Amino acid sequence: MSEKNYKLVKGLLLLFVGIWLCFTLFPLYWQIITAFKSPAETNLTVPTFWPTEWHPENFVSVFADPGNSKALLDSFIIATGNTLASLVLGTLAGYAFARFPKQAGGENMAFWILSNRMFPPVAILIPMFFLFDAMPWGTDSHLSLIILYLVFNMPLATWLMMVFFRDAPRELEEAAYLDGFTPLQAFWRVTLPLVLPGMVSVGILCWIFAWNEYLFANLFVGSAVRTFTIVIPTFTHGSQTLWNLQMAFSLIAMAPPVMLFIVLRRYMVRGLSLGVVKG
Amino acid sequence: MGNLQIEGLCKGWDFPVLDRLDLTVEEGEFFVVVGPSGIGKTTLLRLVAGLEAPDAGRIIVAGKDITALPPYRRRVAMTFESYALYPHMSVYRNIASPLIARKTPKAQIETRVREVAKLLQIEQLLERKPGEISGGQKQRTALGRTLISDPEIFLLDEPISHLDAKIRHELREQFHNLEALRKVATLYVTHDYSEALSLGDRVGMMGAGGLVQIGTPRELFEKPANLFVARNLGQPGMNIVETTMARENDKLSLHALAGGTLQFQLSPAQAGRLNGKNSGAISLGIRPQHIRVLVNGETARQNEQIIDGTVDVFEALGATSIVIADVGGTTLTALGLPDETLNYRQQIKLAVDTHAFHLFDSSSGRAV
Repeated sequence: MSEKNYKLVKGLLLLFVGIWLCFTLFPLYWQIITAFKSPAETNLTVPTFWPTEWHPENFVSVFADPGNSKALLDSFIIATGNTLASLVLGTLAGYAFARFPKQAGGENMAFWILSNRMFPPVAILIPMFFLFDAMPWGTDSHLSLIILYLVFNMPLATWLMMVFFRDAPRELEEAAYLDGFTPLQAFWRVTLPLVLPGMVSVGILCWIFAWNEYLFANLFVGSAVRTFTIVIPTFTHGSQTLWNLQMAFSLIAMAPPVMLFIVLRRYMVRGLSLGVVKG
Repeated sequence: MGNLQIEGLCKGWDFPVLDRLDLTVEEGEFFVVVGPSGIGKTTLLRLVAGLEAPDAGRIIVAGKDITALPPYRRRVAMTFESYALYPHMSVYRNIASPLIARKTPKAQIETRVREVAKLLQIEQLLERKPGEISGGQKQRTALGRTLISDPEIFLLDEPISHLDAKIRHELREQFHNLEALRKVATLYVTHDYSEALSLGDRVGMMGAGGLVQIGTPRELFEKPANLFVARNLGQPGMNIVETTMARENDKLSLHALAGGTLQFQLSPAQAGRLNGKNSGAISLGIRPQHIRVLVNGETARQNEQIIDGTVDVFEALGATSIVIADVGGTTLTALGLPDETLNYRQQIKLAVDTHAFHLFDSSSGRAV
């Protein structure tokens, strides 16, 4: 490629990225400035693109209702509980599919599990509601959503962990057997550390799904337990919406996944298995 | 401690890989299994290690049948062709792994690891991860993990095949001197015949289905039992000339099938061996070192037959040279001296040592 063409391509690329960024970042920008506006300023016919007055106290008054902070906690409990359960089940199942495919039911079984993730969730909304209503934990509890979200997260975790386990060299496990470790010890000491970066990525995906879920939460929980996703619409009363508080609360709810991603980002970079075998 | 006995071992997948293999490796013996890639050498090691279950047969160590034991209950140490070092553990932890598995006290582990690391000259690497060391160092680490564990059997799978020539030679020397390997039964697998000849107390050549010939390195090299062994030992490989036998005036000679006038007179002793089958195809084997290139009007020595040829390829290799010559339609490889440069298509005279002939029955491949 000539120097001139290269510059042209690079320029076009930058232009595309610029447009893309405007497209994705504008809502975020709007959310942030709205969160700092006064109620009156949020409802102007001609909107302001920069707050005339800054109201950081919006972020405090959001918590005037103790239900709002409890909603964040409920969401956290459900997302974390579901992630742990998905990881435990998905890791064990993924290992079985990767190492003992025949005994685990083969490729068809693995694909069937993945396919559970593919149907439209709304299709099982009503049946699941009646099913859970008949269970000892009912619908309006942490446990109900923790278990329900397994329907979506466990197939994902199983499938991805299966891929990671397939990539982990089997010889390392065999070497561990010959060192004198039992299969369980070898799994714990050798195989699991190898797939840890993958496990972290899977965990983040599961956690974000459970944290963001609205459809099922809206139907299942609401009084004893309320997730933040079903609290956000409650800032609308009748024809009036407290835009500034709603945006402030949304921003606060966005913080945990963003922080999670930043903290765990380095684990998501695979590369631990480099240098395992000859090279 | 004790010997390793393998009795009637069978293993196959879609096709049989090992077919009723019998082998005894004595305590303290260094037994090398050599053979071409994909012939089942690694399968044999994996069966002894317990990583594969045999279809039939028994594996006995020191009189105890271990065929049904899982690998972690066998006192067997093995190096893998790929090294199989744990990438998330330091070199120290890699080497210590077998002792950790046996719940050895920490202080004792420390002493043993340092000892082994010193022996293998990797003391300065103990804190590094496998990803941060070179191929040769990885190999030493893998070897260290094997040596530390005081097993009844050592299994070494192509331990030095993937290293560059210099380090390979260095490690080969080390194998000669490693005391630990000389105390127990060791099964060493390689596709490199020179490793086999250099290291083995005894060598087994593996062909399709199992061991084709077992013997000391000299026996295998000098008296190959069949064409397969003859072809696979030696570099450059043995010349094999397909011939047919002819009898003239009570003298036996072999005529090359490729046509032309190439024929070899057989000594009475050789003729005696062939007398059982008076007509038939014979594969004549001649090692390249038994063919001399005559220069400057040299004459034949005793037992040598002179043949005319033209040079196809000449390779000078420092200490020796390889001459590939066309002799009346048959190609012969000879070892020569490096300082006599030969040109393409140059006419030369070759002196073939007739006493060093290897004779094989062409149809069965067996030595006669």
